[in-house]
Amino acid sequence: MTDKIDHISRQKFMEELRRYQRGSVTRRHFLGVTGLGAASAVLGAAMPGLMPRAAHAQSIGDRVVLASWPNYHDPANFDSFAAESGATVQLNVFGSNEEMLAKLQAGGSGWDVFVPTNYTITTYVEQDLIEPLDLALLPNYDPASFDQRFAGPGTVNGTVYAVPRNWGTTGFAVNTDHTGGTTPTSWKEFWDLTQTTFSGRTMVHDYQLTTIGNALKYFGYSFNSIDPAELAKAEELLLAAKPHLFAISSDYQPSMRSGDAWMTICWTGDGKQMNRDMPEIVYVLGKEGGELWSDFFAIPKGAPHRDAAYALINYLLAPEINAKEVMFHGYPVADARVNAILPAEMLNDPILYPAADLLSALEFGAAATLTDPNRAELMARFKAA
Amino acid sequence: MQRRLSTWLLLAPAGLWFAVMLVLPLCFVVVFSFGEREAAGGYVPAFTLAQYANLPSRGTAFLNTLTLAPFGTVLALLIAYPLAYFLAMRADPKWRTLLLILVIVPFWTSILIRSYAWIFILGGQGLPAVIAWLGFGSVRLINTPFAVMTGIVYGYLPLMVLPVYVSLERLDKRLLEAAADLGAPPLRSFLQVTLPLSLPGVATGCMLVFILLMGEFLIPAMLGGGKVFFIGNALVDLFLQSRNWAFGAAVAVTLVLIMLVTVSLYMWLMRRMGGVRDDVALM
Amino acid sequence: MRLYALAVYLFLYLPIAVIAVFSFNAGRHASQFTGFSVQWYGKALSNPFVTEALWTSFVVALSSALIASVFGTMAALALQGMKGRVRMVADALIYVAVMVPGIVIGIATLIALVTLFGWINPLLARLAPEGQAPQLAMGYGSLIAAHALFSMSLVIIILRARLAGMDRSLMEASADLYAPPFATFWQVTLPLIFPGILAGFLLSFTFSFDDFIIAFFVAGSETTLPIYVFSSIRRGVTPEINAIGTMVLAVSLILLVAAQLTLRRGIKTGAQ
Repeated sequence: MTDKIDHISRQKFMEELRRYQRGSVTRRHFLGVTGLGAASAVLGAAMPGLMPRAAHAQSIGDRVVLASWPNYHDPANFDSFAAESGATVQLNVFGSNEEMLAKLQAGGSGWDVFVPTNYTITTYVEQDLIEPLDLALLPNYDPASFDQRFAGPGTVNGTVYAVPRNWGTTGFAVNTDHTGGTTPTSWKEFWDLTQTTFSGRTMVHDYQLTTIGNALKYFGYSFNSIDPAELAKAEELLLAAKPHLFAISSDYQPSMRSGDAWMTICWTGDGKQMNRDMPEIVYVLGKEGGELWSDFFAIPKGAPHRDAAYALINYLLAPEINAKEVMFHGYPVADARVNAILPAEMLNDPILYPAADLLSALEFGAAATLTDPNRAELMARFKAA
Repeated sequence: MQRRLSTWLLLAPAGLWFAVMLVLPLCFVVVFSFGEREAAGGYVPAFTLAQYANLPSRGTAFLNTLTLAPFGTVLALLIAYPLAYFLAMRADPKWRTLLLILVIVPFWTSILIRSYAWIFILGGQGLPAVIAWLGFGSVRLINTPFAVMTGIVYGYLPLMVLPVYVSLERLDKRLLEAAADLGAPPLRSFLQVTLPLSLPGVATGCMLVFILLMGEFLIPAMLGGGKVFFIGNALVDLFLQSRNWAFGAAVAVTLVLIMLVTVSLYMWLMRRMGGVRDDVALM
Repeated sequence: MRLYALAVYLFLYLPIAVIAVFSFNAGRHASQFTGFSVQWYGKALSNPFVTEALWTSFVVALSSALIASVFGTMAALALQGMKGRVRMVADALIYVAVMVPGIVIGIATLIALVTLFGWINPLLARLAPEGQAPQLAMGYGSLIAAHALFSMSLVIIILRARLAGMDRSLMEASADLYAPPFATFWQVTLPLIFPGILAGFLLSFTFSFDDFIIAFFVAGSETTLPIYVFSSIRRGVTPEINAIGTMVLAVSLILLVAAQLTLRRGIKTGAQ
């Protein structure tokens, strides 16, 4: 990587970025032109820490298994990781943190990296299922550049177990072709529409935290409530809505895009991805509140390809790669270095960065919800009903 | 004496296998079913009937299974019987083997991939789009009991066609000629000769499909949108989501008991009706 | 009648056609045909996870089918003509093994082995020097063992039917002529039951190769082909999965035809 190429690339990147911002080129063109070469060159200048990667290249093995979430990774970045490091990424996706926990508890998951959400990390530590991270192997992780609100939960009792991936919100997406010109703004409307004009067209997550949590919001209770009386009300609502649901699944994009489903509980990035391609699908944060979350990279105990795991996390944390991920999946990051190279349009997007009053109503998930037997059983009963 | 020893030696490996891989795991399930859920999920030893007391909470899943399994079996039979009849009685003998192989071939592709294809066919851009294009309005097929039934009939049709075909093919055609000679109209000779003689095949096919349907989990999971729950889905959910191993064990024990009772009853009935040998029935 | 048969065949082959057509899709999405290409075949075959999953499935299917055929044949021979309590227990076990849903077998095996390993591993650790102790875990062993159980039941049932229909007088004649039991087995019994063993072997292989439910619970960190397919479907399918399905179908077809030919020859020899 010579300085000359570096400069040209950087210059070209900025040009493309400006063209993109003016709207004279499409996002695809922008990504294609600035893609790997340009963006990594920017990084090469800014991040000498990236260099150890070359030393790793020979020794990390030919594969790495990642357990993560649907529509959360740009396949192009896995391809470039494979080209650079020699390790192919196998992505397994899950619909809930419970599912990930169950797989790890049963033993022998075979995962090298997984992506838990903020509130689950203390449980993984208590259950001895997660490795403390060796930050020396993650030179691209710069704690100082991360917003502590989102990075904090990765550290338990002073030990870093997980480094931040993205943060986001849990709202709902609705296809406005079917709302008669109005857009619902609350969880109350979400559940009421489900049982009336949207009957047979609504999806909820196969995930107790968000599905029960947003049913609780209907009554104005805390998203994290484990109070039996409040949960009983939520169950009543869920059981009433069940016959009107299209599906219970955390991978709702295919159904929303095909028009089979009209409304779904939705995460930031999915909302952004759908809205980008189909402007009639809008992303809404219920005004009663809901979830604010932050995801992390972590390595489970007994990961079979530990070196590759560190290499992959490190690679995805490189600001220019992380920026490409954001452009692909539409989830914000808490890394100031990434935000510095993201186009202003992205940084001003209300789906990614909601208005302050909407944001302040949101709650982080609470650890108690993951292990509360009543919530787990309620969700299971709701699905089996 | 030597003969006895060799018999035992021959039996030993299989016996050991059944003891370790069948009897022992089933004992574990029974023991676990009296235990409790560990706080973060899993199992803690205990002796309680609480898990069994909680069974009614899965009533719908049990009911779904106990209605949809027989319904699916009958539906598969209704679709399979005419085809088996055609293959055995009407098809050109030259093509018969090929036609029969063609029934089996789909069965040799992963049920996962075939069910996935159905997601596409029954989804909004598939069959419903064709129906709308033909002017019959919009219908929703995917994630309905109809979709699950389609997947089930599709998945188990070959298992039903084969035994029925075998029993029809073995049938002595001279009996039908005799019936015709005696002036029996075709429908009557079918009802009084063909149908009764094909019953062993029907019984075998029904039992095979019923047994597999009682433990079905994949097809409802893929084509039912996580909404149409069989007891198999409830079981998987208890182990892979809500992590309640004790309750999961109790559901598993109950399922096995229900199957033992229904299948034994069915076999007893069949034996009384017409002497279907159980090893034939199991195949 | 013929029209009806045609309709049923259409029903049977519609999904297969969808799978095969989309395997040649140039685009990334499994629901929009954007042009003809065989790139996904290349992608599937060069993906180390696919080739390893194929290999794992093959090894597991072959081992479990071999174990099931050998031990199952031994057991069927021992059970031949046997009466009394042992026979009753054996029949009951086979009955239960075939009847208990795969999902229950999978879960039961999982909790039993995980618990057993939890007891055994600390003992192993104490016996061996530090860090050297072999640790038992779910994987190839548990997969093969669980598949062999079901397959063994299949083999025993098939052979029992065949042995029951066999002319005992041949074996008795052989014994009368002072042939040692082993010679009787090699020269008389085995040729007679071989088609049954082969059928059992092929059935076992197929069952194991295609099984998802049991493998899902007992595979540990191993990935068989159906497990790979399942996780691919969940993360949003690319035509790679269609390519794999089409290839597996083609190979199955070849195996099926081969099995048919062998079986038919076997039935002819058996009938003579």
